[in-house]
Amino acid sequence: MTESQSHSEAAGPEAMSRRGFLAKGVAALAGASAVAAALSPLRDLDPDDLPTAEEFLQKHYKEMTAADRERVFERIREEVERRHGVTPHLTDPPPMDGVEFVYGLNLSRCIGCRKCVHACVKENNPSRSPEIQYIRVLEMAKGSIDVETSNHHYDPETVPKPDKYYMPVQCHQCAKPPCVKVCPVEATWQEPDGITVIDYDWCIGCRYCEAACPYWARRFNFAEPQIPEGELNPDMAYLSNRPRQKGTMEKCTFCLHRTRVGKLPACLEVCPTGSRKFGNVLDPNSDVHYILKHKRVYVFKEDVGTLPRFFYYFDERGSRYHEPIAPETPEGGA
Amino acid sequence: MSCIRANWITLVLAAFALFLALEPWPFASPVRTADPIAAWATDPTPVRQPGLKPRYVAAGFVYRCSDCHMILPPPAEAASRLTQHTEVVLEHGINTRCFNCHHPTRRDFFVDDFGRPIPWDQPQLLCAKCHGPVYRDWQHGAHGRVNGYWDTAQGSPSRLRCIHCHDPHTPPFPALRPAPGPQTLRMGPAVQGDHGHGPLRIHASGREPSQGH
Repeated sequence: MTESQSHSEAAGPEAMSRRGFLAKGVAALAGASAVAAALSPLRDLDPDDLPTAEEFLQKHYKEMTAADRERVFERIREEVERRHGVTPHLTDPPPMDGVEFVYGLNLSRCIGCRKCVHACVKENNPSRSPEIQYIRVLEMAKGSIDVETSNHHYDPETVPKPDKYYMPVQCHQCAKPPCVKVCPVEATWQEPDGITVIDYDWCIGCRYCEAACPYWARRFNFAEPQIPEGELNPDMAYLSNRPRQKGTMEKCTFCLHRTRVGKLPACLEVCPTGSRKFGNVLDPNSDVHYILKHKRVYVFKEDVGTLPRFFYYFDERGSRYHEPIAPETPEGGA
Repeated sequence: MSCIRANWITLVLAAFALFLALEPWPFASPVRTADPIAAWATDPTPVRQPGLKPRYVAAGFVYRCSDCHMILPPPAEAASRLTQHTEVVLEHGINTRCFNCHHPTRRDFFVDDFGRPIPWDQPQLLCAKCHGPVYRDWQHGAHGRVNGYWDTAQGSPSRLRCIHCHDPHTPPFPALRPAPGPQTLRMGPAVQGDHGHGPLRIHASGREPSQGH
């Protein structure tokens, strides 16, 4: 044993000089080219995408002082101007006192025209390619509330189809939001007016919130968001529709840059049927207060216990299209 | 011997790494380029723009209703064919009589249940004669379009009236062309005949929702 060891030790240095040297050299070359190949995507790196030291050290939205915020907003303004060629009107409207937002959607009147989807995209500056949309309109069979048999790719000549009804789904701004609970870095939280927001600069892109949401309401920027020139909405807020970066989550914010200054959300403004209702539920004279008090209301996935602030409601039976009220079939009940 | 073989493997790997580093197949993104949003898909204009005035356009001239009807005596209500206003298609359910809504003598007005006139710019009072629950909901903002501001302290909301959406003679809301469907990464592309695409799909064959298990 000792003999063979000493033999190999003795032969070692001599073998290194030729075969061993070649082997190690080739291995080193292979390693170097593998590293080069692995690093090759860096050739496409735009130095503009690298965070500056200031950006890297930026604090969480809630920990920023007023001066910090102004500095950050100034940087964002510059960035938007450099990348999109538009001077943004970047604001940070605070939640209003005594206001809790609630959304109502009349399932008896929605015709599924998807105008809300596109008005939302136009307003909120999500990526166009890859496409991100906050609202998903489900085509449902009449008489069913089974979303598993719904279809969001429907494309008939005209809507509504007589045997279908349409159910738009977006962020429900839950009072017990599971997405906030799972966030490991507290990059998303619920504001006093009920809107769940995201600090896009604090989000690490783990997508736990996307998995936690029972309404499929959160969207992830898998790629660098692309917005065609001239389509950027310059009226933006820090917590809502300012441009996002790759690797962050985003979602419906009830258009807080509009609604916190008294306006209505973009999806509501465009709805041709008036199915969408929005307002302050704490105000007893508001539309949504009336709806919750007097109309038949459906809470989507009520059993998961998220206490949504988004309510579907119905009109009296047979009031749509003057449908005749069909007599109950003998086997239809039970 | 094994050492030489190992060298060859290393060499092959090195050559392959070099080959890959030269990008023989340039990266092609599977992401579709976006279609621009069509202007009609985000147009908030109401489906109808009624004048809310008793006006009638004929041969390019605009008349008040009373311009003709003050001269011509109102024809007796009859189920017979009209000689004027033949463009009106009256498909309003069981409401098949002109004078159910139009005032029989004062033509610039509608008529209420007691024969009193309703001004032309207050059509909701006319519709309320039959559509009570809808009128109630409209008054409270649960039916119909309200635009502008939810906070009346910061701006005034605009409330559209019945005939901004409903043609009084053919009242059902018109069917519209749907805006393009989703092509998002999460929702996936449209697949012909696939009803319920994606992770929500559990069963291989579509369940009949009417069977109600």
